[in-house]
Amino acid sequence: MKISINWLKEYLDINIFPEKLVDEMNNIGLLVDQWEEKDGDVILELETYANRPDTLGHLGVAREIAASQGIPLKDQKFPVVEGDENISDVFDVQVLEEDLCPRYCGMIIKGFNNGPSPPWLIKRIQAMGLSPVNHVVDVTNYVLFSTAQPIHAFDLSKLSGDKIIVRKAMKGEELKVLGGESIQLSNDMLVIADEKKPLALAGVVGGEETAVTDESKDIFIESACFDPVSIRKTWKEAGIQTDASYRFERGTDISFPPEAARMVASLLTKEGGKALKGLVDIYPKPRKVRTVVLRHHRVSQLLGIEIEEEFIADLLKRMGFQVENQNEGIWRVQVPHFRVDLEREADLIEEIARFYGYDKIPSHLPVFQGINLEVNKRKNIEDRIRELLFHEGFDEVVNYSFMDTNKEKLFKTSSEAIEIRNPVSSKASLLRTTLLEGLLGNIVWNINRGAEGIHAFEIGNIFYQNEGKCFERYSLGMVTMGQLDPVFWQKEPEKSDFFHLKGTCEELLRHLKFDEFSFTKEENSFFEGNYSLSLSFKGEKIGILGQMKQSIVDAYSIEESVWAAEINLGSLLEKQPKPFEYIPVSRYPGIVRDVSFISDRDISYQEIKDCIEKLNIPYLEDYVLYDRFTGKEIPGEKISLSFRFVFRHPEKTLLAEEADSFQDKIIQALNTEFGLKLRGGGQD
Amino acid sequence: MVDLIKKIKVLRSNFDEGVAQVEDKESLQELRNTYLSRKKGRITLLLKEMKNVSPEEKPEVGKKINEFKIHVQQKLDELDREIEKPKYKGSQIDLTLPGKQRYRGAPHPILKYKKRIEQIFLSMGFSIEDGPEIETDYYNFGALNFPPHHPARDDWDTLYLTDDLLLRTHTSPVQIRVMEKKKPPIRMINPGKVYRRETPDPTHIPMFYQVEGLVVDFGITFAHLKGTLEHFLKALYHEKIKIRFRPSYFPFTEPSAEVDIECTVCRGEESKCRVCGGGGWIEILGAGMVDPQVLKNVNIDPEKYSGFAFGMGIDRTAMFSFRIPDLRNFYENDLRFIRQFS
Ligand SMILES: [Zn+2]
Repeated sequence: MKISINWLKEYLDINIFPEKLVDEMNNIGLLVDQWEEKDGDVILELETYANRPDTLGHLGVAREIAASQGIPLKDQKFPVVEGDENISDVFDVQVLEEDLCPRYCGMIIKGFNNGPSPPWLIKRIQAMGLSPVNHVVDVTNYVLFSTAQPIHAFDLSKLSGDKIIVRKAMKGEELKVLGGESIQLSNDMLVIADEKKPLALAGVVGGEETAVTDESKDIFIESACFDPVSIRKTWKEAGIQTDASYRFERGTDISFPPEAARMVASLLTKEGGKALKGLVDIYPKPRKVRTVVLRHHRVSQLLGIEIEEEFIADLLKRMGFQVENQNEGIWRVQVPHFRVDLEREADLIEEIARFYGYDKIPSHLPVFQGINLEVNKRKNIEDRIRELLFHEGFDEVVNYSFMDTNKEKLFKTSSEAIEIRNPVSSKASLLRTTLLEGLLGNIVWNINRGAEGIHAFEIGNIFYQNEGKCFERYSLGMVTMGQLDPVFWQKEPEKSDFFHLKGTCEELLRHLKFDEFSFTKEENSFFEGNYSLSLSFKGEKIGILGQMKQSIVDAYSIEESVWAAEINLGSLLEKQPKPFEYIPVSRYPGIVRDVSFISDRDISYQEIKDCIEKLNIPYLEDYVLYDRFTGKEIPGEKISLSFRFVFRHPEKTLLAEEADSFQDKIIQALNTEFGLKLRGGGQD
Repeated sequence: MVDLIKKIKVLRSNFDEGVAQVEDKESLQELRNTYLSRKKGRITLLLKEMKNVSPEEKPEVGKKINEFKIHVQQKLDELDREIEKPKYKGSQIDLTLPGKQRYRGAPHPILKYKKRIEQIFLSMGFSIEDGPEIETDYYNFGALNFPPHHPARDDWDTLYLTDDLLLRTHTSPVQIRVMEKKKPPIRMINPGKVYRRETPDPTHIPMFYQVEGLVVDFGITFAHLKGTLEHFLKALYHEKIKIRFRPSYFPFTEPSAEVDIECTVCRGEESKCRVCGGGGWIEILGAGMVDPQVLKNVNIDPEKYSGFAFGMGIDRTAMFSFRIPDLRNFYENDLRFIRQFS
């Protein structure tokens, strides 16, 4: 909200440099974003808070400054020039919805010569960044920006009958609002009506037909208090927010409407016309001022500093509160209606802190009691994955959690995407169902900027729904393509491929001590059929890896092969990693045996591995496939597989005969299971 | 015996000269034969001479011969390995050629910054907690003392999934989740993603990271809030950074504060500073004493316990620390950008 220093001076005797004033306002929580000098005035851009509607007018800001500076507010008088007629004799107001309109005041001015406003008023209106409309309308705006009490003025001659009715709109009613279109009213909107039809959307916007124009002579002034929630619902439904609704939805001072009405009448009749005697004031259930009990010891308990009773009592009085000492160190504080936000002791303690000065409250580190510092499993796994993947040359990225429907269709994820009701744009209308979509976008971005090798990962949630419930799945996505290392003069750089990615996945799981993983060939909507694996831990599927489908990379205009994996970390987190156990290093020599087999091509490595592991050979320390080839010397549709087995006993030197028998067991098993034969050997 | 030791010395220097002259496999084999041949090798000959040495002197001479033998073997093995290698004569290799580089992955700058924040709080004995990104209206607003239909909700432009489900607009729901689960003393942070209905521009993005903090115990005061946050900000920036607390409003804290740090770019001396707009201060944290109603909502007695909470935007803070002009840079994932943070 804009605050004019000249305007503040209507309420305060201050002569202060704007820099100093801005500083002091900041100290009590009136944040001034910017300020500028304009036409001999200084305009402050004040950031206001949703709980402080009183600061949406110059009076409220002046009250704050007065309290902080310890100076009084100027006493203002608003004499009204009255005629002979009593308003109650000629006009009636009926409030049918007391809850939605707890107070309604009206005054009538007759014979006013409307037209342009006087220069002082034009200045005020312009200081608020508005253009003057006409004298009457400008005065209502002046009162609004001065006191935060919205005012509406009707051209009395355009009303049907001598009655204002505050009621709910009826089905099918319409209202042509100020400055334009007709809106359909709904049953829960509060309207100001005459005997025939709605004239204004209460507290939100006036109607075009009864608007005050330059020709208007007789004016009905409305100064009311409306229910904040009803106002908020109404303006949201109507799609119209105004300076009035902005104040009403935050809460206005229910004690103030009569004074605001008189203020308008005074400013107008000073220039011409006469007000009818008296004022309509419909206030069926007068509200009592709130009483809040404040205990002195709670102030220091919450703020951590002893503040003298005298300071507190004095401050509260300066703020316009009535303070009564109930007991030693206990006050009963009466909070005036203009502070709609103060209801509890804690609220008053904030007021004390604000005016005492946050800077005067000391800084202490609390004495910390021991707490149960359990390790955050998620953070732990995340840190370890990141560490390993950095080492493997993968860069970390973070993409937005959104996805567009076309991409969703392209990827055909098996899970149902969650829609955002009010997305920022149609391209971000879904929550992502895969991390790979964002990662492919990153590849394109970086290829277009000259990257030759892109290896990236992202850890984050993907989202899906199932039977109407929404879920998030904590996941890891990885992509790799192109050059693995920077170019080097000695040697052509290697290129990434499927086994680079697979090796990284294996390394990762071993690193996390989830050793019991396995891979199965499995088709997937993301990957090419011949390069598509699922990854399992103890038989439960936890991820997929493969080569991105041609149709997908084409859609991104990526020309090279992209290898990608997505792993469900959420389900991995529920599993128990292998507990760490120290195994003494054997001081005895191991026996190394190289064995080459001839195998059918359709026997997978995973099957052979499972078979060897099932044997549970004692002292088989390690084994590795070190060669795999086909060629002339290998007959038919077969391949040669060479394994290196290492046998070692922890406590003695293993005998060659023992190694022989283990080796034979393996050879035998592979032969029985898969028909593997020794290459160049006579084993049958 | 003295003679024999002298002889070993001479032989050793002869051998070293021989080593320097080896150029290829043949000359290496020749050198090996000269010294290690079983029949006529110099070392075999030396060992033969041992029989003339007195028994008292034998151990020392033996030791010397053995040392010499090891020396010869090691040198020859080294030469062997060197000759096996591709042929670069010392004079022909340009040793100033670039060494081999490898890609090392780099962390995303925000996550790197997030980790720094976590480490500071871990060192202060805070726990790290998690919470979901899809939240209910109750956790995101209701339990945090936002009345339904209150304009305060407008300050948090929300992305809704259903009437009740939304993408959390701040990390504060984790305060409620933690207080429901644990009883005081509580001392935790929760870093994570939050969402706002914002069209991306240099200072607004629809998704960003925040870190939430919460301390609840007997006798926690506003002075503790100040002390803790000052300690944190000094650790994050530097010991002498100027910090300012000013009153603010959040529905879930009372009293509430906003915390500013001095603009380290201009130190308040540039009226058109791009970072602070000339004010000299940068808003960095929102904080306050946990509102008694929030404590009641999780069945903690506000007469018995008190606490403070705070929240900080990690992106904005990182942007300021790294002097990155545009928040959107963080989510473009340009590897030339990210790799600077390795
Ligand atoms: Zn600056």
